[in-house]
Amino acid sequence: MSCNCNGNCEKNSRREFLLTGLLATMAVAGCSDDKTPFTPEENVALSGEKVKLLSVDGQVIEVDKAFLKPVPDLPTLSNSEERKGMPGKKFVMVIDLSRCKNLKKCQSACNHMHFVHPGQSWVKIYQMQDAEHTAPYWQPTTCMHCDEPPCVKVCPVDATFKRQDGIVLIDSNRCIGCRFCMAACPYSTRVFNWETPELPEEVASQHYSSETSVPQIKGTVGKCDFCPDMVRKGELPHCVSACPNGVFLFGDINEDSVTNGAETFRFSDLIKDKSGYRLMEDLGTKPSVYYLPPVNRNFPFESGLENQPAEEKTGSHH
Amino acid sequence: MENISTLQSERITRELMPQKFGKRGMIWTGALIIICLIGLYAYYRQLDKGLVVTNMRDYVSWGIYISNFVFFVAISLVGSLITAIFRLANIHWSTPLTRIAEIIAVSAIACASVIIIVDMGRPERLVNLFSHGRLQSPITWDVIVIGTYFFISLLLLYIPLLPDLKILNEQKNKGPKWMSKVYRFFGFFWKGTKEQWKISNKSVVILSIMIIPVAFCIHTVTSWLFATTYRPGWDSTNFGAYFVSGAFLVGSGAVVIAMYVFRRYYKLEKYITEKHFDKMGKAVVLLAFLYLYFNVNEYLVPAFKMKKPEEAHLTNLFAGEFATMFWFAILVGMVIPVLIMITKKGRKPLPMFIAAIMVVVGAWFKRYLIVTPTLLHPFLPMQEVPESYKHYFPSWEEWAIAMGSLAGALLIITFFVRLFPIIPIQETITEEHEKAITENK
Amino acid sequence: MKKLLLKINSGKLLLTILLSVLCTVYTAAQDDSTAVKEEEPEATEIVKLSYHSSNNSIQYLLLKSIIKKGKEQTPVKNKAYTIYLDSAADATKVADVKTDADGKAKTFLPPSLKQAWDASAQHIFIVKAGDEEVISDYSITKSKITIDTATTDGIRNINITIQKQEGSEWLPAADVEMKIGIQRLGGILTAGEEETYTTDSSGTVSVAVKNDSLPGDDKGNIILAVKVDDNETYGNLLVQQAAAWGVKTTTDNNFFEQRTLWSTRFRTPLWLLFLAYTIVLSVWGTLIYLVFQLFKIKKLGKQAAH
Repeated sequence: MSCNCNGNCEKNSRREFLLTGLLATMAVAGCSDDKTPFTPEENVALSGEKVKLLSVDGQVIEVDKAFLKPVPDLPTLSNSEERKGMPGKKFVMVIDLSRCKNLKKCQSACNHMHFVHPGQSWVKIYQMQDAEHTAPYWQPTTCMHCDEPPCVKVCPVDATFKRQDGIVLIDSNRCIGCRFCMAACPYSTRVFNWETPELPEEVASQHYSSETSVPQIKGTVGKCDFCPDMVRKGELPHCVSACPNGVFLFGDINEDSVTNGAETFRFSDLIKDKSGYRLMEDLGTKPSVYYLPPVNRNFPFESGLENQPAEEKTGSHH
Repeated sequence: MENISTLQSERITRELMPQKFGKRGMIWTGALIIICLIGLYAYYRQLDKGLVVTNMRDYVSWGIYISNFVFFVAISLVGSLITAIFRLANIHWSTPLTRIAEIIAVSAIACASVIIIVDMGRPERLVNLFSHGRLQSPITWDVIVIGTYFFISLLLLYIPLLPDLKILNEQKNKGPKWMSKVYRFFGFFWKGTKEQWKISNKSVVILSIMIIPVAFCIHTVTSWLFATTYRPGWDSTNFGAYFVSGAFLVGSGAVVIAMYVFRRYYKLEKYITEKHFDKMGKAVVLLAFLYLYFNVNEYLVPAFKMKKPEEAHLTNLFAGEFATMFWFAILVGMVIPVLIMITKKGRKPLPMFIAAIMVVVGAWFKRYLIVTPTLLHPFLPMQEVPESYKHYFPSWEEWAIAMGSLAGALLIITFFVRLFPIIPIQETITEEHEKAITENK
Repeated sequence: MKKLLLKINSGKLLLTILLSVLCTVYTAAQDDSTAVKEEEPEATEIVKLSYHSSNNSIQYLLLKSIIKKGKEQTPVKNKAYTIYLDSAADATKVADVKTDADGKAKTFLPPSLKQAWDASAQHIFIVKAGDEEVISDYSITKSKITIDTATTDGIRNINITIQKQEGSEWLPAADVEMKIGIQRLGGILTAGEEETYTTDSSGTVSVAVKNDSLPGDDKGNIILAVKVDDNETYGNLLVQQAAAWGVKTTTDNNFFEQRTLWSTRFRTPLWLLFLAYTIVLSVWGTLIYLVFQLFKIKKLGKQAAH
């Protein structure tokens, strides 16, 4: 495999280094600039400086210096780019309840990466039992990123908005803190910054980005954002990669595929074969998060109880 | 004949002139100012530390600020009832009450705006509502209709005040200088010419017609802040009518209280008569029945079905944590006042006053019950959150701010009464005059 | 938060007091002390190096450094390491690297190593932290992957061949486990029925594509990907190639560009705009008219005064 134009090498190598997959190769792109719907956002912040390197077959080729970093920097997005979202994509999540044993790794990773206020969480794991004689199960929830988002409907200032890639985000620099969205959300997804968030100084001084949802701002609403910043880097949302049991599967419905990093499934087959469903379908919110029922479980329900705080162990019927 | 009329006019003017605060007035005003200041201090703390000083948390994300807001909006509706509905229905006995009703409306709506800003996490971004306002949101509708209602109410307060300002202007020596300046500033141009009367009468008629749909809008839209969500207890098609009827009830209650207080302390027995109390009493009974009717709809129908999400909410209201308050609001806010006012003796000033206080207090708790218990029954169970998230009782800051806003509303009314006649002087004179003419015929 | 800390602190305090009381009672009763002792797990630094090659062309090394303490893992930030090829000498230095916030560092092989690289089919990487050798035997063997696609009797096949270099010869690489499939966001969707495939003694494996009619790009292209993960001999290999086996898919934004109740203020439904503006304009039009009437009253008053 040889490449006879530097620009392309650079482009390819750039894609190349965007961790797992999401790579379009020289073979695909050839020397043209065609974009496939699968390529990640390609806007790596190029330094303009080239580095010479040795290829596998002993040739000397050039790439941009930006790719020396394990994860190349991405240019900061403007507010209007953040509001538009990634063209051609429509993100979807599948949560496999048969694999969850309430390890809460998803939650702690999410809280850690987003500096969520202690006591609050964007990812929640519910101990569910639908009726007295039905089976208990563990149900992690993220933001449902509804296609008919009730929270977005009620926002008076476009502070929360839905993007073309299906993600519902919050602009904390716009939010007036009226909390109507919290009342409107039937999934209790949203949390409020009742006080100034405790953040490390280097985080607090950052400019707020809707895609990273960091830093959270006093008097505004926060919630799960599906980690579009991670997706742009070619990585999976924190909850997905943190779960050791592969409960969370994330993907692009336009590609008809979801993955937890280790396993990748064809979305339509998975939903069909395992009877996937969405929460509170009757409300007409059209969530982007699907659930696989807790059948043929990998773990007995009880194994999750050890991670449950004492006062929660009784569970609740709802 | 002319002489008698002039004498009579002078007497009426003398009796209805705004009066200086007496000792009690001073204590009253001072107390209100202190309550407002405590509220201001609490708000300063809230601005400094954030909404964490309240006891609202992620589940109960709306607390007494919002219920207080609903209460204010509700009370303000009475302006439209007494000024407009009664007027268009050709009811004349309510004339002396119009200004009372309008100032209650104006002060309540002003404080509703204040308390809703207090509830905001980022009050300094209020301007976003205008620079980034989104027409799809019921909040935007609420801002528009409340602004409109406030403006109409101000006009309805001001235009009928013009003739009285002329009278006040003519009594220059009887008040401090700044007061006569105020009168001159607002009313120097009213000469009472025929054309002026014609325009002002026409304006008042137009405003009276306009204020009715706008009044229905403000409270219906306010109810939609709840009814446009999915939550059990709010997800109701009955909500608009339920809110409007409740609003008329509590507003009338407030007017009765004001009637009693002004009558007593300003010695207005001749102008606010027992007949007025009797008529108002009948109106309140009617409105209480109306509100009861919507309450039955609101609770009985879902309770008959007991859908799962509603069940926890309703049993909590009927027999659970909020049962005492719920039955208090129903009994004290509606049933007992009806029982009092339905009898002729009950429509005497004092029993009316007591019943009206019950109506207003009951109504305040009713608004609390509309907001809070629902939020404690989300669709997904409340788990894995600090214990404080699962309950709600307002913090002292919330109480202080809520009480401060109530005191603020009363303060506006108090200062208004100090400045302007609470019973329209000119209208009263005209009516007396007309009465005399018809009697002489 | 301070309150919370205080609570935790007072909780801890109580616990400590309780524990110490219990301990005293316990020791008093038992004479020799067997007090509850928290076993402090030892912290160990773990450095991992991995070799990556993609499309048989670009290669790089990833270094990851973590501190492991019991079950807890924390990345080692801002630590300098030096990576060498074959021997820890200045002449064969690959790079000086420094870990980032995630404890990761990355380097390419510099052109200066061309001779050393070409000299052998097998190489060892050595990582030093200061003078200490933390990795001394990470070895890789040069390899290459070829993807061949063919359609026979309507069945689409992906044929993979992996070769390894031995001396100057390319020989089949047997028993290499890999994923063969279609590149998707965040992962590879397997093409056949197995999760992974292994090469036979001839270094080949053939997969009949089961995942048919997958959405592709606007030309119907999908990207086939072959990925070898953490192979002891060959490292991490990835090769991708386009195939026109997908369903032509054009994404449209109709969904996003609708005028709905959840759209932005620039896409308010027309009926709502119409209603709102009609109502607001008619009401405020009247109000403005009334304000003008007030001014008229004022004018009339002034005239009357003259």
